[in-house]
Amino acid sequence: MNAVDHSTTDLNSSTDTILEIRNASVTFDMDRGQSRVLDNVNMDIEREEILGVVGESGSGKSMFASALLDAVVDPGVLTGEITYYPERGQPIDLLDLSPKELKKVRWEEISMVFQGAMSSWNPTLSIKGHFEETLDAHNANFSEGMDRARELLADLYMDPERVLNSYPHELSGGMKQRALIALSMVLEPQVLVMDEPTAALDLLMQRSILKLLREVQEKYEVAMVFITHDLPLVAELAERIAVMYAFEFVEVSTIDDIIRNAAHPYTRALLNATPNLDVHVDEMRPIEGSSPDPVHTPEGCSYHPRCPLADDECVSEDPGYHAVTAGHDVACFHWEQSREAIPYTLPFQDDSTEANQ
Amino acid sequence: MANTNYFIERTIQAFLTLICVFALTFALLRLMPGGPMAYLQARLSQSNQDMSQEQINNMVELYSSVHPSKPIHIAFFDYTTSLLTGDFGRSIWYNQDVIDILAKAMPWTIFVSAVSLFGTFTIGITLGAVMAYGEGSRFDIGSSTVAIIVTSVPFYVVAVLLLWILGYNTGIFPTGGRVNSSIDPGMNLAFIGSVLYHGALPISALVIAGFGARALSMRGNSIQILGNDYLRVARLRGLSERRIALRYVGRNAILPMYTSIMIAIGSLFGGSIILEEIFLYPGLGYYVFQSLGARDYPLLMGGFLFITIATILGIYIADLTYGLIDPRAGGDDREAF
Repeated sequence: MNAVDHSTTDLNSSTDTILEIRNASVTFDMDRGQSRVLDNVNMDIEREEILGVVGESGSGKSMFASALLDAVVDPGVLTGEITYYPERGQPIDLLDLSPKELKKVRWEEISMVFQGAMSSWNPTLSIKGHFEETLDAHNANFSEGMDRARELLADLYMDPERVLNSYPHELSGGMKQRALIALSMVLEPQVLVMDEPTAALDLLMQRSILKLLREVQEKYEVAMVFITHDLPLVAELAERIAVMYAFEFVEVSTIDDIIRNAAHPYTRALLNATPNLDVHVDEMRPIEGSSPDPVHTPEGCSYHPRCPLADDECVSEDPGYHAVTAGHDVACFHWEQSREAIPYTLPFQDDSTEANQ
Repeated sequence: MANTNYFIERTIQAFLTLICVFALTFALLRLMPGGPMAYLQARLSQSNQDMSQEQINNMVELYSSVHPSKPIHIAFFDYTTSLLTGDFGRSIWYNQDVIDILAKAMPWTIFVSAVSLFGTFTIGITLGAVMAYGEGSRFDIGSSTVAIIVTSVPFYVVAVLLLWILGYNTGIFPTGGRVNSSIDPGMNLAFIGSVLYHGALPISALVIAGFGARALSMRGNSIQILGNDYLRVARLRGLSERRIALRYVGRNAILPMYTSIMIAIGSLFGGSIILEEIFLYPGLGYYVFQSLGARDYPLLMGGFLFITIATILGIYIADLTYGLIDPRAGGDDREAF
């Protein structure tokens, strides 16, 4: 597995793109003005890659996830272009589809695992019932579908019959989460979007789910978008990382580059703020200030109020993307200075090297 | 198996409750100052001047299954054994066996209660679900207001209003009785029509006064369910709105109301005392009310026990069947991992 092979030279060119997001914005009209919770986002997701999306709470991660399925909740309005490239046939723009066509793309082509596995199940329906109704709703072959469900559950190290015959309350949190991953894969989607899939689980379960996800990804050759606030966690899984701040991506790169060579002041600060047993607590630095208000996102670079490198240019102009190396893009005017201005010690050094060999 | 244990436990509980009510009923019968025993004795000695005290006591025993001169524990035993053999005593006013009067009246009360219960919940649940789907709409606000108003009005006020407007003033509906006595009873159209015609007002009174509360609780439950993540997941999985409404929202919102439906059976029987008196509808409640006025204690006691048994039975069935409709309450025989 070589992460660099999957990376693109530039955000706007593609090698084998499966999902192409262009100028995607999500807005909510509120009494005090328009709230923009996803701001002109561009991203290419490659076939069979694992993309990690990292950002703090309220940075627009979940909105990005919802946008990938055109599933932004009302009254949010999604604009832009989200193009899905099937293996065969014409590219599909998700935002142009009729509700019926959209229903077909969701779960069959692009599927999703939600934040709260605990509350993603109907409490009065058996796990089997959930699989069956999903197959039924998509007119899928029933016995083939249930066989696949059993295989998926077994791949996720569970006893298929026992799980299928259970009700949600009879499963532990980790089992519910794994069963939910199986449910999202039952129609053989090409893209799996996961929004904080390990948030409510203990550390050991988080690690084992990551391991399972990697196995499942290799076996079923699915592209994964893994959304989390936990950078060290996703570093063990993803090949490419996109860092989100203030409703847009500020830095996109391979996992190695992000960890060893982060260019954006925010990414560097985020790495500095990551708890780590090897680093003394005095060396850990929280990021000063607070995340921006979606109604009044700062002009220019949205990070400038919190950035030590900010100057007049940052206040007045949007930085746009600068290529650090091929496949490493950063939205910062001063990325060359950031290395000296914001030093950080490598967290989880051993883990990351091991994870990317 | 744990389920069997639960069943046995619950059955014993139901019987204990029943025995407690018997005992309380009996104690009331026996200990009320100027109570039914004394009243019976006084009446009999008044109307039959030449009867001896012993003869009067025997007569009292015939009516109430209790001999006045026996000590309380013996008397309780006598009373219980005669109840268990189906002997509820003899009505003083009607001069018939209590069990005969009640057995004839019971089906009519069950008919009115069952139809009104069904109507109340059907209208309440449907309206509540529609209100929840259109939360905050004008329909929702309007319906909520109406529901709150009708819930605040007691059913007997609705009953009197209906009777006054549709019975006495316009004569559209009859003002009393349970069926036109000139029609032969049986499964013929005329008889069933007459039964429905006579039952329409009492049933409407209960439904009008009752559906509001059900609609409001259904609305609340549904709104809570609609906010759940699993609904969003269900929509993304492409399930039809119909399935989501029935299997996801409907079922999960109705479940908490199930027990209250069963308990409502008991309160309906209790409420029939006032309702059937207003509509002069000779059901269980009508006779209980009549016996109260006529100091017909054996009949009163019998009616009271019938209502108690119906209530206990309703809750008992609700308890035993809840596990069948809600997997989370299925007892502990299922394995959890």
